[in-house]
Amino acid sequence: MNPKKLFLAFLAAFVFIFVFGFLWYGNLMHGIHNEVPALWRTEADFGSHFPWLILGHAVMAFFLTMIYVRFVPAGGVASGVGLGIMVALLFIGSNLITFAVQPLTTKILGGWMVGNLLEFAIAGAIVGAIYKPSTTATV
Amino acid sequence: MKRFLLAFLAAFVFIFFWGWLYNGVLLKDIYVQTSSLWRPQSETMSLFHWIILGQAILVFAFVMIYASGFAGGGIAAGIRLGIMVEILAIGARLMMYAVQPLPGKLVLYWSVGGLIEMIVTGAIVGAIYKPRVSRTP
Repeated sequence: MNPKKLFLAFLAAFVFIFVFGFLWYGNLMHGIHNEVPALWRTEADFGSHFPWLILGHAVMAFFLTMIYVRFVPAGGVASGVGLGIMVALLFIGSNLITFAVQPLTTKILGGWMVGNLLEFAIAGAIVGAIYKPSTTATV
Repeated sequence: MKRFLLAFLAAFVFIFFWGWLYNGVLLKDIYVQTSSLWRPQSETMSLFHWIILGQAILVFAFVMIYASGFAGGGIAAGIRLGIMVEILAIGARLMMYAVQPLPGKLVLYWSVGGLIEMIVTGAIVGAIYKPRVSRTP
């Protein structure tokens, strides 16, 4: 494991996931989310829970990076995208289950699924581009 | 391929029954207390096929990740992957908690249940799936 590269990859993934989430879920999907206002916190309530949003992003970015390090020790963008797509599928499965139990619209479901796919494929590519394992010198 | 299918099937059956037991029976009272956040039971039943499909996709992705990067490590590697995947999911759950008026104890119970679920799923997949051994002449 290469701790310095791991930290850099985590940081870049965290920044990307946070910005993507703000743009995709917070802005592009804002109107769609508001079709079911009962499901969301009020603006003020959301503000007081904002630290949980930051922590959630950080945990997600860190463990995506950790899985990548274990998954493809050799690194590489293509492997990162591959892992990102598989992780997105985990979340898409979870989105479908949520759709069955919460009164989400199909537009919200579709937006979340596409968002997850883009988010994790790109985050995986970023981690794959940055993380390189330590090179051990052979004599 | 045969091992992959067997691992997928065993993990899917486990997740299906665990989901039913944990969410449908043990956490039932909490869902009743927060009923405005959930579909009525009859509506959920009419959408039940989405739960099956969602669980199948989730298990398929898990086995794919295991087979692509963790296979060979057996049960221990499966459990390790299960723990990492669940902590990733806990991150997503914390984000949901920030935007949805979910009670904190429900998020906590989901996370504890999810951890147990993914550890057992990882163990099942690690025990069943074995990578193909290439023969050397």
